[in-house]
Amino acid sequence: MNLAPTHVADLTVLLAKAQASGEKVRSIDLGALGRLLEHKSEDMTATVEAGITLADLQQQLATRGQWLPIDPPKPEELSIGTILETNASGPRRLGYGTVRDYVIGMTVALADGRLIHSGGKVVKNVAGYDLMKLFIGSRGSLGVIVEATFKVLPLPEREQFVQVQCESLDAADKLIESLSSSELVPIVMDLHNVSGTSGVILVLGFAGTQDGVEWQLSEASQLGVDQPSSLEYQSKYFAATPSPQNLSVLPSKLIAAVRSLNNIPFVARVGNGIIYHSASMTSQDAGRSTGLEARLKNEFDSKHIFPDF
Amino acid sequence: MRATISPDILKALLAIVGKGNVVSAQDELLVYECDAYTLEKSLPHAVVLPRTTEEVSKIVALCARENIPIIPRGAGTSLSGAVLAVTGGVMITMSRMNKILEIDYRNRRALVEAGCVNAWITNAVKAHGYLYAPDPSSQSACTIGGNVAMNSGGPHTLKYGVTTNHVLGVEMVLSDGEVVWLGAKPDGGEEPDGYDLRGAVIGSEGTFGIVTRVLVKLIKAPQAYKTLLGVFESVDDASQTVSDIIGAGIIPGAMEMMDQLITQAVEAAYQFGFPLDAGAVLIVELDGLSAGLEKQTEQIIKIAKQNRAREVRVAKTEQERLDLWKCRKRAFGAIGRLSPNFVTQDGVVPRSKVPEIMRFIRATSEKYGLRIPNVFHAGDGNIHPLVLYDERHADQVANAIAAGIDILQKCIDLGGSVTGEHGIGVEKIDFMEKQFTKDDLDGMRALRRVFDPENRCNPHKIFPGGKRCGDFTPRKQIAA
Repeated sequence: MNLAPTHVADLTVLLAKAQASGEKVRSIDLGALGRLLEHKSEDMTATVEAGITLADLQQQLATRGQWLPIDPPKPEELSIGTILETNASGPRRLGYGTVRDYVIGMTVALADGRLIHSGGKVVKNVAGYDLMKLFIGSRGSLGVIVEATFKVLPLPEREQFVQVQCESLDAADKLIESLSSSELVPIVMDLHNVSGTSGVILVLGFAGTQDGVEWQLSEASQLGVDQPSSLEYQSKYFAATPSPQNLSVLPSKLIAAVRSLNNIPFVARVGNGIIYHSASMTSQDAGRSTGLEARLKNEFDSKHIFPDF
Repeated sequence: MRATISPDILKALLAIVGKGNVVSAQDELLVYECDAYTLEKSLPHAVVLPRTTEEVSKIVALCARENIPIIPRGAGTSLSGAVLAVTGGVMITMSRMNKILEIDYRNRRALVEAGCVNAWITNAVKAHGYLYAPDPSSQSACTIGGNVAMNSGGPHTLKYGVTTNHVLGVEMVLSDGEVVWLGAKPDGGEEPDGYDLRGAVIGSEGTFGIVTRVLVKLIKAPQAYKTLLGVFESVDDASQTVSDIIGAGIIPGAMEMMDQLITQAVEAAYQFGFPLDAGAVLIVELDGLSAGLEKQTEQIIKIAKQNRAREVRVAKTEQERLDLWKCRKRAFGAIGRLSPNFVTQDGVVPRSKVPEIMRFIRATSEKYGLRIPNVFHAGDGNIHPLVLYDERHADQVANAIAAGIDILQKCIDLGGSVTGEHGIGVEKIDFMEKQFTKDDLDGMRALRRVFDPENRCNPHKIFPGGKRCGDFTPRKQIAA
């Protein structure tokens, strides 16, 4: 079944039908559920329907000087629902974390059409289990996220990017080491080789108050990172690479992991130990507690109408 | 409920953990009859103090075979009765598994045993310029395992978030004794494949199993702090200041409020120099890079003055800053000067509703004729009204309970929650049906079945419909 509900009540009926007939749900288009339901700037919270695109949401939040501090690629196409299902992130995750850190409430349609809520609309809340964490990153395998409430933040006074070209990975490694032990608190620290130049490029991003950013730029410049930059490499890479592999390693092992890719194009989040590339790799899921995962799938989608994880 | 557990089971427990690590004598078990929530009490049948994950696993497997409830316990500082042995059972106390196992500055993480005390981590890493961010007021006693169970917060969660934002992975013993690792592994990247079961476990109040090791994030300590103390004529003015600071786009590390009653008690206990006649004091702590901090400090002073602050003091030395925080974090301990007994509530409202809930608390105080001082995380909208009563007067006990219920109901009505950081435990079970629908609760029950299908881990918590303790006689309160 391909579902395109016009509202939430519609979706619950469609799911109940699918569940009853045991028919698999192939796709769900939540394009009709694209509203910002509530933005309380004084509470720094916002509630949205899952079909809203990230770009649309950011634009509306910005009218009151706020934003949801996540920045996955292709914000014009990417809906909040997809971001939540895939736990999508971008270069600023070093400074702000991932969407998991910002969801404070969620409404999910379960396989049988029932709607369940977890969390609420307040920034601190430990009533009941945190079901939200289960659905974030679950690739639609447990239920359909229809609404979410987020903590949002004030837009920073200033944001600035600088970069330096490193002749070799060894040179980059040394530089990263000295940046890590410096007093800098970058919101972005990326390494990439997608600009068509030799060697690799290290990009730093700073955000915050005017004075704070100014001070960091001058410190970075003393460490040799001083050419003006932007996040263009990021959009360019993800436009050219529709579904890259994602490798997650200890930050201290990042350079070695990059080296093993043998010069194919990559973008790496240095501080997080995450590398996007398109080399073929074996799966890294050794040691997952598969028993718990199977029981989870069984509890929430016993008839397997949703895709498996 | 069984009256005792058999000598054979005690013998088997002894064989697992060794002499001196099993408590079963009635008088010695009294220590474990409650946590910092003292309105309900019940004794476990036995308490065991394991030293290794393997021992925990064997204890849990034994209890599974014998169908005995298990109750995980850290330091027993829970304010919601989260570690109450409602129908007895074997209490597994993690206090001997308290080591910091590894500190990895390069990758900004530390591996600790669940019984490790929260403050020990920051103490161990601060010389290197790092800290562990969540800082509950009980941090000098409470354990990381307990923090994971309750998803604990603290004053600095305004900027830094709560436990779930700072725990990368956990080792856990499931209810059948199986040992699993959930989330990022000590030698692995931060984004493991699979479901975020780590995230599901954090805040599950010990009902999913027993966490034995925790991989925590370390963050760089801020380069500088500016800690301000604003003195206000009224709680309303102080609350408006909080809103205006956020409205100006400033996110301080913490914004904490104390009303007049609690300020007087804290001053009597710790002599910091708080004004005794002020309606409210507001502690605002800015942190981050030195550059830019001065300007934000001036902005905050200006906002406070616009809201009729009588004065705004800035801590001049690190010692003064630490003294101020000591007073704030020990505020509950000063209550003994005001009242023989108190019950702490832990409601949350949207930030902008703080003035409204504070007015409601004042009205509730008058309605029941009980004093209700307030010390709370104003920046998060997380209130902690302390309802004072004297257990020798039955009407006061009843009124204290009724006042708490009224306040928490009002939090729900204002779009908030009945607990921001203390948890549901046994205390707030009756509110679950008010805050969640039946379907919501069924979803939670489904998750519980995934981890603990036989309801053996910390039973009779969180969900309505369970057993309650018969003993409902409040006794002398210990300070949290």
